[in-house]
Order: sequence, then C-alpha cells, then structure tokens
Amino acid sequence: MIALSGVQKSFQDGPRPVPILRGVDLEVGPGELVAIVGSSGSGKSTLLHIAGGLDRDYRGEVAVAGRSLALLSPRELARLRNATLGFVFQSFNLLPGLSALENVMLPGMLGEATGQPPGAVRTRAAEALVRVGLAARAAAPPSRLSGGERQRVAIARALFSRPRVLLADEPTGNLDAVTGEEVIRLFAELAAEGMAVLVVTHEERVSRAAGRVLQLREGRLH
Amino acid sequence: MSARGLAWIARARLRADARGTLLDAAAACAGAAALVFFLALGLGVGAAARRMFPAEARLVEVIPSAVSLGGLLGGGQLDDAAVARLSALPRVEAAWPRLVLKVPVAAPEAPPGMAASWPPGMTLQIPVVGLSPGMVKGDVGPGQRFADPGPGGGPIPVLLSRRLLEVYDKTIAPAWNLPRLPPGVSLLGLEMPVRIGLSIVPGKQEGRVYEARVRLAGLSDRVPMYMMAVPLDTARRLHAEYGKEGGYTQVTLAARRPDDVPAVAAAVRRMGFNVDENERAAAERVGAVVAVTTGALVFLAVVMCFLAALAIARSLSASVRGRAREIAVLQALGATPSDVHRVVLLEGGMVGLSGGVAGTLLALGLSLLADRAALRLLPDFPFRPDTFFAFPPWLWALGLLVPVAGAVLGALAPAAAAARIEPARTLS
Repeated sequence: MIALSGVQKSFQDGPRPVPILRGVDLEVGPGELVAIVGSSGSGKSTLLHIAGGLDRDYRGEVAVAGRSLALLSPRELARLRNATLGFVFQSFNLLPGLSALENVMLPGMLGEATGQPPGAVRTRAAEALVRVGLAARAAAPPSRLSGGERQRVAIARALFSRPRVLLADEPTGNLDAVTGEEVIRLFAELAAEGMAVLVVTHEERVSRAAGRVLQLREGRLH
Repeated sequence: MSARGLAWIARARLRADARGTLLDAAAACAGAAALVFFLALGLGVGAAARRMFPAEARLVEVIPSAVSLGGLLGGGQLDDAAVARLSALPRVEAAWPRLVLKVPVAAPEAPPGMAASWPPGMTLQIPVVGLSPGMVKGDVGPGQRFADPGPGGGPIPVLLSRRLLEVYDKTIAPAWNLPRLPPGVSLLGLEMPVRIGLSIVPGKQEGRVYEARVRLAGLSDRVPMYMMAVPLDTARRLHAEYGKEGGYTQVTLAARRPDDVPAVAAAVRRMGFNVDENERAAAERVGAVVAVTTGALVFLAVVMCFLAALAIARSLSASVRGRAREIAVLQALGATPSDVHRVVLLEGGMVGLSGGVAGTLLALGLSLLADRAALRLLPDFPFRPDTFFAFPPWLWALGLLVPVAGAVLGALAPAAAAARIEPARTLS
C-alpha cells in the first residue's frame, strides 16, 4: 500500500546540503501497523510527509495505493490525499473556527470527486465521530475539547474518507496515558480492518502495539 | 474543490474571525455607502437641473444673423425657402419654424370661475409665439387639437410652458397671495377671453381690436416660459390680417443624434445664420457644475473604496500569516494550492459583498434622511424635486460590484501568499 524505495532528502543549511534521509526503503501492506521510531530531528516527520505527498522535494520512488507520487499532478495528488490517505498530527491541527463535526466534514467539503450534498457529508462526519466515541461533542468547538477529545476528532477527520492508508505523526505525543492507549487501540483496530497504518513516534507504548517497528537512524531505516 | 466546498470553507473562516471580518466589511461598507450616496445625489440633482433647464441635446436653434447682407452670402431672412434649405441639411431630421406674434394680444378679464384670483381692472398682456404643430405634437393633451381654427372658427388652441405653472405655484401665487393650483388638477380645456390687437403699451395698439377665446391644449417644455404658443398657421393668419411682414423669428432644427449637433450648427453658420446657444449654454453650465461636483465626491468615494481594499488586503495578509498551519492542514486534507488561492479570494469577495450590501442600504437610508431634512429645512422654491437622489438599477449593481471588486483585488496578494504555503514545512 505504501512503497518507498531509495528515498533521499536533504535540507539546505546555507550553501551546504544536510542529508536527512539517505536512501530509505519501506513497504507497508494493507492491515499492517508499522511504527517508525527515532530520536528528535532524525527525519521521521519528513519521511511521513514524503509518504503522504505533502513534500515532493526528494529523490527516489514513492508509491501509494499503487500510484507513483512523482507522476501525479498537483490536483491528482490532492485528490489522493483527500480520498486515499488520512493524516493524524501530534498537535491535532483542528480548525478553531469550526465545531468538532465541521472539522470532520472538511475532507468531504474539500473533495471534488465525492460530489456529496452537504447533508450526506454531515451524516458521514457524524458517523465518523460515533466511531471515535465523540457523538455527544459534535457541536463543541476545539477550544472546549480536551486534548484526548481533540485527537479523536482529528482521527475521525482522517477516517472520514474511509482511506486505505493512515499516516500518524506522534499521535499520542500530547495525550495522557489512558487517552494515548485508547488511540493506540483504535489504530490497531483500523489495521485489523485492513488499513495500512504508518505511525512515527518516539513512544514505546505505540511501538509495542505495532506489528513492525523500524528505527530511523542516520537517515536510514533499521 | 467544488464551488460549494469553497464557499463553505470561506464562510467558516470568516465566521472564525468574526471581529476582523466585521471590521473589513465595515471598511467596504463605508466605501460603498459613500460611492452610492454621492452618485445618487449627483444623478438626482442632475435630473432636477434638467427639469429646471430642459435643453434638448438634439436641438439647434437657428436665428437670423445680426448683420445681414440681404442674402448676398446666403442667410438673411428666415423665410420658407430658408427653412427648406435648413431642413435639407445633412443629419437634420426636422426643421420647425417659430414666429413671435407682432400683433398684441391681451386678456382683460379672468377665465370663467377664476375671477377671485384676478386683480380688479388688470389687463394681462400676453407675448405669443407661433409654433409648428410637429414640434409639440407629443405635448398636446388627449382630446385636444393644436391647429389653426381659422377666422371665427372657435377658440384658438394654445400651449403653455410646464415651467410657468411651476413658477406660478412656487413664486407668483405665494407672492400675490393667490391660490395655488391643486395638485393633479388638469387645466386642459380651460378657456379664456382675449382681445386681439389690444395693447397696454401706449402707441402699440392696433387699429382693429376684436374678441377671441383661447383654449389650453397642453403643456410643453418647448414653449418659452413667459409666452403663450399658438399654432404657426394662426400666427401667420394674424400677421396677414394686420399686414405684418417679415420672416420667421427662429427655426428649431432636430439633429438625428446629439453627436450630430456640432456639425449641424457649423453648417447653419456656413449658411449665414446664427445659432442661439443661450439656453443650451445655461443648461450645459449647470450640467457641468453638477458633473464636476459629483465627480469630485465620487472621486472621494472611490478613494475610500481603495482604502477599504487596502484595509482588506492588510487584514487578509495578516490572517493568512496567522493561519498558515490551517492552510497547510487544508492541503493535507485534499486542497490544492489553487483551491487555497480561491478560498482566500472568495473570503475577500464575501467581505466585499456584505460590505457592499450594507453600504448600499446605508446610502439609501441616508438619502431618505437627507430628503426628509431638505423638505423640512428648504423653502418651497420652483422645481424643487421631491427627492434629491436617483437610484437607477445600475447604481445598485455598482454599489455591490465596486466593493466586491475592490475586496477581491485586495485579496489577490494574500491569496497568492496562501497558495505558496508549503504544507510539509509548515506542519513540521
């Protein structure tokens, strides 16, 4: 479902390029929960952004759901992110002006291919909130949700399009132990349902739940 | 992204920053209100001025030359041959001669039923002009005829100036303590006894004076304000009866289009006649004053709109910088840079539209207040309009379009900046 081959990425530090990924190879299949661990600044988030088509400035091959990202136009890539990929971020990244339900509706309103009427988008978003146990908080703005609730809203948003791939960047980093465990359990359930889940984390409790744990060190996966 | 999705996200963003949105919309509202208010005022005052000075853009008034060489170089008298030559000029649609009556006409008594308004012993000397029926055919009232009845053929149909009634109502009646004309009352068909040949000026009375009646057949802006118009044939007949000679006083030419007037006027001058531009010049001077004043005020309003656009640009730029992360998230969820660009433009457009709607309604409200104040504070002078404002449909559209266009222009740079946001770098 996710296939990275020989991925290299450098940052410019003045005139000097600083390599951060030095030839990463990775495959994540359907139903797999893979954790990538590594120290801060090791390039975990960069790797995730490349896999999610958010960063196109790299060398090597990246394919998601059988499609080479390098060959996609910006519009096709946006459509892929909208329909095939789900993102979960450490800092939730909910839009403050929208309610929990409206945040979950965002992918539906952004997707040109779906063409669903707003009522259908709303119903589907409500179902996604039910899935993460937040139906009762649908009308609340993010500012009135706890950290765990915000992350569950973010997960519901990622699940809205029923994606085949879920990419999570430190999803439990801002959560307490109990809430973090709930999120990890949810990821495991999603993987069990056939989704490819790639999580970058530095937390051991996440890697314990993963089927495969890879360490990113000196720009390579070990 | 679909248009519906764009609008949904733009609306949500504006709702999230309600205070900033309100301030931006207020700026657009002020610009739109000023623009619509001043333009409506200019149009309204211009229309009132045109009622006061009803010069028609297509008409050229031909008068005999002050210095004539007896037709040696053309020109000379305005007789039927001259009228024929004038009407044959290129770009001339019609030529209507007019003849100021040299036979005195006076009214020694009031029209029936109006004796109370007639000062005792007053004889009213009436200047009379003969007009071609074709020139005033649109002004003759229903059921009335404007044609010479012939000798002993009944009342002579006459036309009066519309402006004369306004002046009577607003100036003469209050000054002489006479009753005003009740609004809506038609004076058409009103008859008045006159004496042909009678003059109150010593030495000007004709040897033969006889009684006749005149009947009001209509009101026209083409009748000089303090004259009574009779059919041209009536004027000719009376001149023949009293042995008066001479050509027409004036010929009115109707050009095909207002643009043709300069060429027609030049051709008339080449024929040796003069062009009377007094009335037109007065109307043009008034029109120019109104246009220049309106232009200056509209310029100020446009500056206000421009400042509003700058305020919106500044506000949206700050907003885009402040929500770079949100924009990156939108891209992560499936928005293209082009979608982001359009969302920010739409936000600007929505702010401009709401400001435009509010501003146009505000201008309408202000105009109603201004009219009410004017009615209370200004004296009832002739031609005072019921409203000093005019709101044609295009002005409503302009009141909405200008702020929308200004706001969208103001949103261009912020939208481009938003589209350049790199999601990977912003989310890291």
